[in-house]
Amino acid sequence: MATLRRLREAPRHLLVCEKSNFSHDKSRHRHLVETHYHNYRVSFLIPECGMLSKELKNLVADTGPYYFVKNLPLHELITHEFIHTFVKKGSCYALTYNTNIDEDNTVALLPNGKLILSLDKDTYEETGLQGHPSQYSGRKIMKFIVSIDLMDLSFNLNSKKYERICWSFKEKKPMKFDFLLAWHHTGAEESAMLSFFSKYQIQEHQPKVSMSTLSDLQCPVLQSCELRGEPETSCSALELLDWFGGVFCNAVLNNEPDNFISNFCCPQPSTVVAQAHLCTITGFILPEKISVLLEQLCHYFDEPKLAPWVTLSVQGFADSPVSWRENEHGFWKGGEHLYNFVIFNNQDYWLQMAVGANDNCPP
Amino acid sequence: MKSVIYRAFSQKEAKEYDVQHQEASQAEAFVRAFLKRSMPHMSQQACEDQLQRKAVVLEYFTRRKRKEKKKKSKGLSARQRRDLRLFDIKPEQQRYSLFLPLHELWKQYIRDLCNGLKPDTQPQMIQAKLLKADLHGAIISVTKSKCPSYVGVTGILLQETKHVFKIITKEDRLKVIPKVNCVFTVEIDDFVSYIYGSKFQLRSSERSAKKFKAKGIIDL
Repeated sequence: MATLRRLREAPRHLLVCEKSNFSHDKSRHRHLVETHYHNYRVSFLIPECGMLSKELKNLVADTGPYYFVKNLPLHELITHEFIHTFVKKGSCYALTYNTNIDEDNTVALLPNGKLILSLDKDTYEETGLQGHPSQYSGRKIMKFIVSIDLMDLSFNLNSKKYERICWSFKEKKPMKFDFLLAWHHTGAEESAMLSFFSKYQIQEHQPKVSMSTLSDLQCPVLQSCELRGEPETSCSALELLDWFGGVFCNAVLNNEPDNFISNFCCPQPSTVVAQAHLCTITGFILPEKISVLLEQLCHYFDEPKLAPWVTLSVQGFADSPVSWRENEHGFWKGGEHLYNFVIFNNQDYWLQMAVGANDNCPP
Repeated sequence: MKSVIYRAFSQKEAKEYDVQHQEASQAEAFVRAFLKRSMPHMSQQACEDQLQRKAVVLEYFTRRKRKEKKKKSKGLSARQRRDLRLFDIKPEQQRYSLFLPLHELWKQYIRDLCNGLKPDTQPQMIQAKLLKADLHGAIISVTKSKCPSYVGVTGILLQETKHVFKIITKEDRLKVIPKVNCVFTVEIDDFVSYIYGSKFQLRSSERSAKKFKAKGIIDL
């Protein structure tokens, strides 16, 4: 009985909504964007806009290349050359591809030089590296997290720690994964990654961009100072997020009585907008690029525009071992960790951060 | 007893009572004759017995013999053995190279046990033999362990007690590895065997007599 009840319950979700202003000193928007490392999909919606401005279009096309390597052995990521070439100069991001965070071993490289391994019990017992059990284990611990600081190791390459890690990755338990790699750097060596991993099958990919113009869209009315919304004047942040989700997945939001799939409708009060521009970028996207995009969207309101607000939404990889900074991320019945900016024309913004069940509260 | 009945008078008493001191034998003969005349129905022997004054014991107490402590055939208790330090290996003797001949000896022993290690021997037979074999001198390494710092320790087995393996590594360090929650690897020629330490918690002497059943899980 208890099991049935538990299965029927919806898993817990957390949504954190805050509001602030971009010109505020202590605004955390930049920090939050930069510490959300593994971003899968970025979408933005601009109401009352038919065509994107040239700057925005260029930015969208320039969300850098990312690389895909098959069967890369793990010891390649701890070699001195790799650390020196990529990790120290710029920010290097890596994530294993096609591994489920709750079943398989997952590896992620963060820009601050930390290599996070999320291993299952048998693998952890065989590698022999010191780690700690995952926070989301029940009575029997099935997952362990091992965290290796590459910056620390690179200072002293003859240390016992480094030798043990090398021994473990090369002889004791060699592991191979398919990696998604991305590197943000200020130099001019564009194809350094391609040449470094030329021994393995490395492919360069550009993020997929899809744009569409929606017409006669019902948009909710928002007031930037009221997060919770006034009953007749504006909508709350919660309803807004639900509505965005519907729009971004192109759901039909008319509340037709005979629609089996969805009976969601736009939260009231709402206005009808003649056209709105929706753009979605999919791929392994760097937080730095998202930061630049956010800045550009802020500057959208430098000239007077019809639109009352624009929104930018970012989703993270469901299989990433970390969500924000080094908070551990897990997959229960859904592995979402996403954030959403609503930018108003007076430089106010709303920020909503949502996480799933096996996650800590976002920062 | 006789001294109680026949007591000679002291000199002073004899003079006082005006008694002539008689000889001891004369006195004895006199007493005997007197008794015979007074008690004619008692035999000579009965009179003698009466005079003897044998003590009659009313209650019988056996002196409890202290039970001898059960002699322990095992010799010394574990505490005494540890105190005697019979099985400790002194630091000067802890050299890996000293124990390599032991390892060669062990390899030879296993080869003999398995009637020669040909590449086509069945692994089950090797396993069965290894279960009962003595492992002193084998090169053992830890493959899996619940504690990550034990993983990778390799060396020659010096001592095996009920719960622990004592190993000497190449760096001449004596390591004590608990058997529980560990998986060990023993390699002989080209055969690699895994020993699940949790099921192996027996003294090596008792292991040769134990029948191993396939019970329980081998998950650490």
